Amino acid sequence: MLRLERFSCGYGLFRAVSELELEVPHGTITGLIGPNGAGKSSTLMCVAGHVNLLAGSIVFDELDIGGLPATERVRRGIAIAPEGRRLFKDLSVEDNLRVGGLIHPAGRFKADRDYVLSLFPRLGERLGSLAANLSGGEQQMLSIGRALMARPKLIMIDELSLGLMPKMVDLCYDALLRLKQDGMTILLVEQNTDRVLSVADHVCVLESGHAVWSGNAADARNDPTLAAAYLGLH
Amino acid sequence: MLYVELIAQGLIQGSIYALIALGLTLVYGLLRILHVAHAAFFTLGGYVGVVVANQTGSLAAAIVAAMIVAGLGGIVVFRLCYQPILHQPPFVPLIASIGLYIAAEELFRIVFGPSGLTYKYAFLQGEVELLGFLRFKTGELVVVFGSAAIIGVLSLLQTRTRIGVACQATVSDPQMAESFGISLSRVGDINFFVGSALAAFAGVMVSVLNNMVEPTMGSVPSYKALAIIVLGGLGSVRGTLVAALVLGVVESFGTIYLGHFLDRNAIAFAFLILVLMWRPQGLFARS
Repeated sequence: MLRLERFSCGYGLFRAVSELELEVPHGTITGLIGPNGAGKSSTLMCVAGHVNLLAGSIVFDELDIGGLPATERVRRGIAIAPEGRRLFKDLSVEDNLRVGGLIHPAGRFKADRDYVLSLFPRLGERLGSLAANLSGGEQQMLSIGRALMARPKLIMIDELSLGLMPKMVDLCYDALLRLKQDGMTILLVEQNTDRVLSVADHVCVLESGHAVWSGNAADARNDPTLAAAYLGLH
Repeated sequence: MLYVELIAQGLIQGSIYALIALGLTLVYGLLRILHVAHAAFFTLGGYVGVVVANQTGSLAAAIVAAMIVAGLGGIVVFRLCYQPILHQPPFVPLIASIGLYIAAEELFRIVFGPSGLTYKYAFLQGEVELLGFLRFKTGELVVVFGSAAIIGVLSLLQTRTRIGVACQATVSDPQMAESFGISLSRVGDINFFVGSALAAFAGVMVSVLNNMVEPTMGSVPSYKALAIIVLGGLGSVRGTLVAALVLGVVESFGTIYLGHFLDRNAIAFAFLILVLMWRPQGLFARS
């Protein structure tokens, strides 16, 4: 579905990621993990069209989308729940969802919104609240929900569990599994590696802008050197 | 009685300020630039209004024409003048904007002559008496109720329509708005169209009330509108509306009680300085 080939991205002269090869197959959950500053978020923001692609290509659905503007990428089927959620804080929960679905006709809003609410029933109780007044967990749900409103083929989620209560993290991960059942392709960036390894099909470990390991999540779980070196598992 | 009359006069002046300052706030909220040249659309509105009114004899046609021409002019300025330099530091668009305003004033002088134009017909000059002791020109009531109606409709559109919500989202986080398919250029077009059209409406009404359109009629409103959006807390629409009305009322009282040694504009800026000493972030700063 998504393939990054000799992918380098960054800002001006600063190269955040170099020569990354990454394959996100259709209908799977792929985890992109690694320490702070490894280039995970830059990778997602570059695929979304907000960070410069310095070299290589971004292939989505067999088309090179590296030259398309961000507004066009979401129409092709890539949506993002970015680092820090970046909700539209002065807008209500419902209006945040509405913005998420703007690329589709207004008539589809109710059905799409109801799908999101079936994943995150808590949001249903807060539809009229301003996004700024939600708890951290609810904000993360809204951020994912807003991205889903675009009816993407691929959803990219950055730092899903950061700063959330464990119970909220559980709810979000349950939703991911349900999304996968419904055929969604998910690219997940996390620092919480235990969690990623428990749901992901594939993982790629980034460090200082380079991929240092990639393969099946099951292999990653069973690889003691990897666990010790990069994942902080015990 | 005098107080009520002063407040009413202040609100009339304040509505005119509000119409002009709203466009500045919309542009500042979206692009973070101070659009000094905005007042040129106030003047442009006045000129288109007087020309169309004198040709057709219809003030309604004059208002509609002025708003449409100024609105389209706003889009042209956004696309040609601001969009290419948006990635530059903020003082670059600011200087471009000041230059554009000066050029526009000279253009009006060249095209329409230095001495100004007047209306051939007397529009809205009749007097209306309210509550038995308040007398207004019809035009003054049209200003107040017209601007309230327009601003009311706009705020409904902003909260109830998809385009309105898209504009709000863009102001809140432009990059994320793009990630949901919203084109920044189109939102810019809408903001410049609406803001410039509002200024043009104010321009027509002021020129009708004074029966005069001249090339420099925008200069005092231009810096007063800047003062208002600072007073209102930059980028806050509600703050701008309140600040405009407050400034109108302060001026109206000030000219009675301080008018013998300070002129109207000096009072306005003395008030601005006092408020900013007390609240440097403006009256209604966004958190």
